[in-house]
Amino acid sequence: MEPVHAGEAVGVNFGPLYKGRRASPEDHLGMEIAPRQIVAFGGGGFSMESGNPLLDDYVLGLCRRERPRVCFLPSASGDADHYVVRFYRAFPADRCEASHISLFRREQGPEDLREHVLSQDLIYVGGGSVVSLLGVWRAHGIDAILREAWEAGVVLCGLSAGSLCWFDEAVTGFHGAPRRVEGLGLLPFSNCVHYEPTSERRFAYHEMLRDGMRPGYAAEDGAGLHFVGCELDRVVASRPAARGYRLDAVGPRVVEMRLATAYLGEAPPVRRLPGADSPSLATASAA
Amino acid sequence: MIPRILTLGGHDFTSRPPDRAVSELMLRLATERAGGRPKICILPTASGDTSEQIGRFYAAFGERPCDPSDLSLFRLGRRPMALREHLLAQDLIYVGGGSMVNLLAVWEAHELSAILSLAWRQGIVLAGQSAGAMCWFESGITKSSGRPEPEAGLGLLHGSLCVHYNNEPDRRAAYLDAVGNGMPGGYGLDDYAGLLWEGEGPPSAVTARRGARAYRVSSGETGVIESPLPARFLPAPAPAALREDIAEFRRIKSMRRRAGWLG
Repeated sequence: MEPVHAGEAVGVNFGPLYKGRRASPEDHLGMEIAPRQIVAFGGGGFSMESGNPLLDDYVLGLCRRERPRVCFLPSASGDADHYVVRFYRAFPADRCEASHISLFRREQGPEDLREHVLSQDLIYVGGGSVVSLLGVWRAHGIDAILREAWEAGVVLCGLSAGSLCWFDEAVTGFHGAPRRVEGLGLLPFSNCVHYEPTSERRFAYHEMLRDGMRPGYAAEDGAGLHFVGCELDRVVASRPAARGYRLDAVGPRVVEMRLATAYLGEAPPVRRLPGADSPSLATASAA
Repeated sequence: MIPRILTLGGHDFTSRPPDRAVSELMLRLATERAGGRPKICILPTASGDTSEQIGRFYAAFGERPCDPSDLSLFRLGRRPMALREHLLAQDLIYVGGGSMVNLLAVWEAHELSAILSLAWRQGIVLAGQSAGAMCWFESGITKSSGRPEPEAGLGLLHGSLCVHYNNEPDRRAAYLDAVGNGMPGGYGLDDYAGLLWEGEGPPSAVTARRGARAYRVSSGETGVIESPLPARFLPAPAPAALREDIAEFRRIKSMRRRAGWLG
């Protein structure tokens, strides 16, 4: 069954959704406390968009320190060397204090994982196999450490497997037919990445929603879902056309809602009519 | 076919004689199982599927009478494979070294543990070194978290195993401690020493390098006892004669290098 496309005005079934405001939680003394933040990319950042740093710049901009501490977790790739090298190139020392944790070579990395993770401003999780990622994290107790870091205000972000992992349930299409996996459950939604209009994952996700998977969010390559607390705060994108989506099933119908997405680059130039030199359309037609 | 497992304390896939001797033994076991040209597959999971480990495996077996393959769980995205069908079609499954904790966690996540014990019961030879050897036992001593610590394995083999016995005194000390404190006894294996398990009986020890030993480690009245096991020496096969075209290629390459054409 074809999904029903709803415009943004239809919000009645969705509960608290997209509010388009910056959250700034305060404690009872009026002091600002560090909010819990997760930015889940459908795909993008240095791993997929070399030469387009918009999403990576955005997550760095969420950190409060001028030279933020950024730690890369490449577990989903099996800690592939070339991936770690690309991370250090994308996050050079003049912009941030970069580090990585390799769970396949613990003898080389920081000895106390918890201490290291909690001292960061941003945790960046790479792509790969989310099933392997979660298996390895649980074996090393990183799952609990990341929850603690999130609650303490360390910004969590990632693409692909590094997006799926934060949610209650996710659609993995890493190999074979797409299937349902249980994530860390920091965000009480389902999630689907690389959500391109004709992708196999998209159809699989709709099927899962009909089968009772909890409602959730999807993002196309280049789109990032920014959650503050457990609420979607805004959708940002490194490509003008990339979008995020909210998905829900109402009985046998899947309702897919395209979310307003803020392009992080400069606004594309206004197209002018051919032959018109004047900037305004009115003058152009008068000429 | 009786279930067989070859566990090694440590080795590599180079062209050095002890490494060639180990590869030769694996090839012989696989050929016996196949009754012809065997299929052998490396599971490089414990290393995070590094190209290095996979490349060395192919370098060792690529020119031998067998069909080598690799099953890289972290690379399935680019190269999908049917895990169960592929593994159960093998004659020998080799597990490389690395992090034992990650190996078992990733296998569990992909439901490989059950497939491997089925393969074992079907007589597919299981082999491995380091983490890839300890994983078959009830427990082993891993450095997956930095310091050597006991870790539970799949338990296809009774007792425990400690690898790199001669090379890593801290691992050996942790093992003797753990056995003294109630961990089931088992074996210590030097690099290039191995145990071949056939059916239910006790294993036979093999060694590919003079001086490399296998030890039985058990807890007794007077503390933990290490007793060396008599081991069969594995001679290295003569290096395969280089095929003429390869030799020619290498000659040209070295001439070019001398002339400064290649970096």
